[in-house]
Amino acid sequence: MSELRDLQRRFMGYLLKQSVAIIADVQSTPVLSAKDRLDIYASAYKLRLKEAITSDYGKVASYLGDDQFNQLMERYIEKHPSHTTNLRYFSVNLPELVRDEAPFNSLAELYELACIERAFADSFDAKCIHYATLAELSTLPEQAWETLQFNFQSSLQILWLEHNTFPIWKALSDDNIPPKSEKTTASAWVLWRGSDLISHYKVLSGAEAAVLGLALDGETFAVICEKLLVFFSEEETPMKAIGFLQSWITEEMLESFNW
Amino acid sequence: MTRPFIGFGLGLRTEHYQHVIDEKPQVDWFEIISENYMVPGGKPLANLDKIRKDYPMVMHGVSMSIGSTDPINIAYLQKLKTLIERVEPLWISDHLCWTSVNHINSHDLLPLPYNEATINHIVDRIKQTQDVLGRQMLIENLSSYVTYNDSDMTEWEFINEISKRADCYILLDINNIFVSANNHHFEPEQYVKGIDSDRVMQFHLAGHSYNGDMIIDTHDHDVCDPVWNLYEVALGHFGAVSTMIERDDNIPPFEELRKELAIAEKIATKVLTPEQLNISENITLEGAA
Repeated sequence: MSELRDLQRRFMGYLLKQSVAIIADVQSTPVLSAKDRLDIYASAYKLRLKEAITSDYGKVASYLGDDQFNQLMERYIEKHPSHTTNLRYFSVNLPELVRDEAPFNSLAELYELACIERAFADSFDAKCIHYATLAELSTLPEQAWETLQFNFQSSLQILWLEHNTFPIWKALSDDNIPPKSEKTTASAWVLWRGSDLISHYKVLSGAEAAVLGLALDGETFAVICEKLLVFFSEEETPMKAIGFLQSWITEEMLESFNW
Repeated sequence: MTRPFIGFGLGLRTEHYQHVIDEKPQVDWFEIISENYMVPGGKPLANLDKIRKDYPMVMHGVSMSIGSTDPINIAYLQKLKTLIERVEPLWISDHLCWTSVNHINSHDLLPLPYNEATINHIVDRIKQTQDVLGRQMLIENLSSYVTYNDSDMTEWEFINEISKRADCYILLDINNIFVSANNHHFEPEQYVKGIDSDRVMQFHLAGHSYNGDMIIDTHDHDVCDPVWNLYEVALGHFGAVSTMIERDDNIPPFEELRKELAIAEKIATKVLTPEQLNISENITLEGAA
């Protein structure tokens, strides 16, 4: 099958880099040259990938405007040929390109905006097995609390943002003019999908961000309580810890318990 | 075997989820794009499960790359098999094409040269694929825009030979025949009448667009009259074949597509007898050898 393999490589070379070797394999017609016929595929290749990127990063597109977003898409398509069978995952590395390459990295908030959009996409079709309930929490045996760990929804993600990027994202989502980008104190945002199949998000307090991060890393409830002593008094800490745990359950962030 | 007939279906599209779930419109079956549901979970699979409770389904893939010279993508087939177990489709299909080489995916349905060497290559891969999936599959003819110098047979001879040797079935896209006939200057009726009737399991209908002298398979318009005429010829030649309309862009409200599907039913009623249009029961394609 070496002949077919070589032909397919030449064809792909035309799609990726306009390598002309494939032209000799294709018949021209009286009205259309081989190159013109191949260009139908080359145009469709880029168009399809650009549609996928635009679908995944619509707010980045709005924020940048047509020309700059097209420049970004061209760069991404050139640097990241698709290695996935599912177009859904083609553009997963776009935020890193925005972060690392000029001129896109001159807008610091752009990387965060792209991360927010990727997080929503990942949350949208993440796996969900179960939502933990307060009833399940109340039936845990006493000895469970010594080693209690938490399994969170796979849709749950924490984003640390150093700009007012969520308000920018929200304004773009509502088709409003986004606020001017500003550097802010770093804040943690949590994003997850509930049983209503809708993705939810909220900003976290410093204490909740710290312990949610620990819980996601597999630390026990006991370690979480210890950490909370940095933020609260010994009297307040148990109630605060239980309060966070209950809110993670009622807000459907938690999948199950381990002990 | 007697060809099973499951009636007239539509492609399931996200724009129509809520209408289908709420209204349960009269459609015999839905065809899903397999890759849209090869995801871990969330809304796509939740909606799929709801709709599957009320309608039979067939699965149609776009990324199997059966004609590729890369090794068969077993990880893809395993994911496909997981979806098959979830959906329990009446049958599954993909395209007689290649989409990837050197593990780079074009996300397009790229044509193959029609010759004996390609037939041998693809027959072997379809047999392996059917073994992994544990069932026979359907392969669909493409719309294409290039002719290779290495081709030495017609497309219908190519597809007949592959389906016979691989013991798979054919999803005959009537619009694709019309499009390719224009682009490659052959008679579409000759193509239809050249296809082995025993192997045809399903028809696709769709709209297309003109780009100068070429017709592009865009699935963004209604089915045009010449394609309806070719559909009538195909029904006369093959008898009852389960038929669906594909619409992937410029998607109208569901009921508009339902009206378009009624045209297909009307043509079938004109060409075929009521007995021929009886819906089959207990349909199972044979497992791979």
